[in-house]
Amino acid sequence: MLQIRWHSRAGQGAVTGAKALADVMARTGKYVQAYSVYGAEKRGAPMSAYDKIDDKPILDHSKWMIPNYVLVIDPSLVFQEEIVDNTTDDTVFIVTSHMDKEDLISMAKHLEGRKVFVVDAIKISQEEIGRAIPNTPMLGAFMKVSEIIPFEDFLVSIEDILSKFPRKIIDGNLRAIKRAYEEVK
Amino acid sequence: MATKYELKSKEIWDGNTAASHALRQAQVDVVAAYPITPSTPIVQNYASFLADGYVDGEFVMVESEHSAMSACVGAAAAGGRVATATSSQGYALMAEVLYQASGMRLPIVMTVVNRALASPLNIHGDHGDMYLGRDAGWIHLIANNPQEAYDMTLCAFKVAEDKSVRLPVTTNQDGFLVSHTAQVVEPLDDDTAYKFIGDYTPLNPMLDTSNPATYGAQTEEEWHFEFKASQHKALMESPAVIDEVFAEFEKLTGRKYNRVESYKLEDADIALVVMGSAYETAMVAVDRAREQGIKVGLVMPRSFRPFPYNEMAEKLKNIKAVAALDRSCPMGAMGALYNEVSGALSANGQAAIMTNYIYGLGGRDTTAEHILEVIKETNENAKAGKRVTDLQGFINLRGPKLSFN
Amino acid sequence: MATPKEMMTTWDSIQFGAVLPSFEDPKNKVRSKFNSFNYKVADWRVEKPVFNRNLCIDCDFCWVFCPDSCFEVEEVVNKRGKKQAKIVGINYDLCKGCGVCVEVCPTPIKSLLMFSEFVDNDDALKQWPKKEDKKD
Repeated sequence: MLQIRWHSRAGQGAVTGAKALADVMARTGKYVQAYSVYGAEKRGAPMSAYDKIDDKPILDHSKWMIPNYVLVIDPSLVFQEEIVDNTTDDTVFIVTSHMDKEDLISMAKHLEGRKVFVVDAIKISQEEIGRAIPNTPMLGAFMKVSEIIPFEDFLVSIEDILSKFPRKIIDGNLRAIKRAYEEVK
Repeated sequence: MATKYELKSKEIWDGNTAASHALRQAQVDVVAAYPITPSTPIVQNYASFLADGYVDGEFVMVESEHSAMSACVGAAAAGGRVATATSSQGYALMAEVLYQASGMRLPIVMTVVNRALASPLNIHGDHGDMYLGRDAGWIHLIANNPQEAYDMTLCAFKVAEDKSVRLPVTTNQDGFLVSHTAQVVEPLDDDTAYKFIGDYTPLNPMLDTSNPATYGAQTEEEWHFEFKASQHKALMESPAVIDEVFAEFEKLTGRKYNRVESYKLEDADIALVVMGSAYETAMVAVDRAREQGIKVGLVMPRSFRPFPYNEMAEKLKNIKAVAALDRSCPMGAMGALYNEVSGALSANGQAAIMTNYIYGLGGRDTTAEHILEVIKETNENAKAGKRVTDLQGFINLRGPKLSFN
Repeated sequence: MATPKEMMTTWDSIQFGAVLPSFEDPKNKVRSKFNSFNYKVADWRVEKPVFNRNLCIDCDFCWVFCPDSCFEVEEVVNKRGKKQAKIVGINYDLCKGCGVCVEVCPTPIKSLLMFSEFVDNDDALKQWPKKEDKKD
């Protein structure tokens, strides 16, 4: 079972991102679970969301997991040590930051020796979508790093999932996803 | 005429979305509701469906849950197909009117998203609200995942509206763990779903002014007992209808539901009784325990009321030790599942060793590992041939071990 | 017990959901045995309301307020061609003489007044206050 944990601030779209990823993966015939840990949250409070992806129906309804991927879509949460909770040496971290990897890890010591990828999802979303909603660029970066499905297939699915939005927003998101796919490193 | 909603063969829905689509497909005449977390999206989605022309009906926004259920009673007595949704404190505020609805034999369907009762305030899932309503004369169906939340809600209408039942039904799903967890759901198309439920036939509708009738008549000691006894009879005999509806649903969808669900019970020495999303988590634990050589199985009442006494006893007839897991603090007693299952066993002359565990209050995470511990403890009882563990324990509680004997 | 014996029923034959019909035969308005119409309370009365049709403006307040549904009405068509409920009298089998109808009657000289149970209604109408009486 592939397990993914999102770290975000309430309002940045981690729940929507997790559900979109689940939707994309379900279209490839996988079984999925997407959920988040809710509190009495206000916008801006740190929160986490989760994806479980498997070939057979997912029965485990507990919130606890050992993530294969940790996606951090808020630049300040990178510095919170909670992001490494319950992870292993194989856990892959994809984090949002304007810094390059070395500078970031020198400040965020808990990421030392970890498999870390960096993408500036905030800047990308601001420039391409017009708002700091870093969830879809993170999906683009995740597709590049994980190679879980062909990127072209992902783009077809995500465009359909976004189809309830106006064309301008869909195009902005697609540009952001493609840019993050190229820029993550 | 309502617009058809285009659905894919597989949707990624959370439990709330699933329940609200089932309400939409049932073409409910009146939804009166006062939204409350975590069931808010059911009401919200339904209102959107109505505003967007996907439902022909009325949505009544009221000032409290007491009013919500009262409006539902009024609308159902008037002759409409009626539904609502609630959780926790809202459920508690409805309590008085829940009894009115069942006493008047109004087939209202309520999609409950189970949540802890304050105080202290908590928005997360446990079965405190379901247990509060268990004697209210409603049928309570349990859903463990979004697919089941959808399926149970469709079945609920058919059970409630059956001529011999005519009782209100709740469908229960765990707050957040089901209600806000998106999973793959295979919905029916609108026409098939509606055809399964069928047109609603009102009984003694108050809008039929040529046949005026009194609802909720005062009965006092001359009749009250007789009315209640006949209501209880309807509930006790509803299993036949529930079985029929489940069978018809299986024919339509291939998804089979039973009033007592079980997992790997055939060769089991010990069993766990558990309801809700934790039943599925427990399946994972059972598989792990079996890898370690512990022959364990699971049972779950799909209908908490009417409680399937004899079927439960039949399922557990070869079991040596049973642990009943209740997701509600019993406050001065054993949990309800412990009591019901013990009663069912003793009524059938069975004497499995019974223990009780309280888990998951206020959404406390209960993992497969936690349940595996319970399985191991229960296995100790079976091996010893008598109870060697505490009568009532707590799962994943912080602090020194707490238990009762 | 308060309920007449013939109204007692067993659990297997009671009315479904405690939903009581008003009429056994709605077409001919034959009331069911469960209808409270069958409870006669008139014997309790020591004073009775008397109705003066000549002063009544058919506001129907008495009909609304009467706790025992004593007021008998007829459906009539008024001057403007609209249907209206015309008060035609009082069912003295049901009236227990509470006097609410007199309290709520809004006409300048009341069209309902309380009289002793033993006063004949025709005599009562002769004793009705006149406009001149009021001016004094």
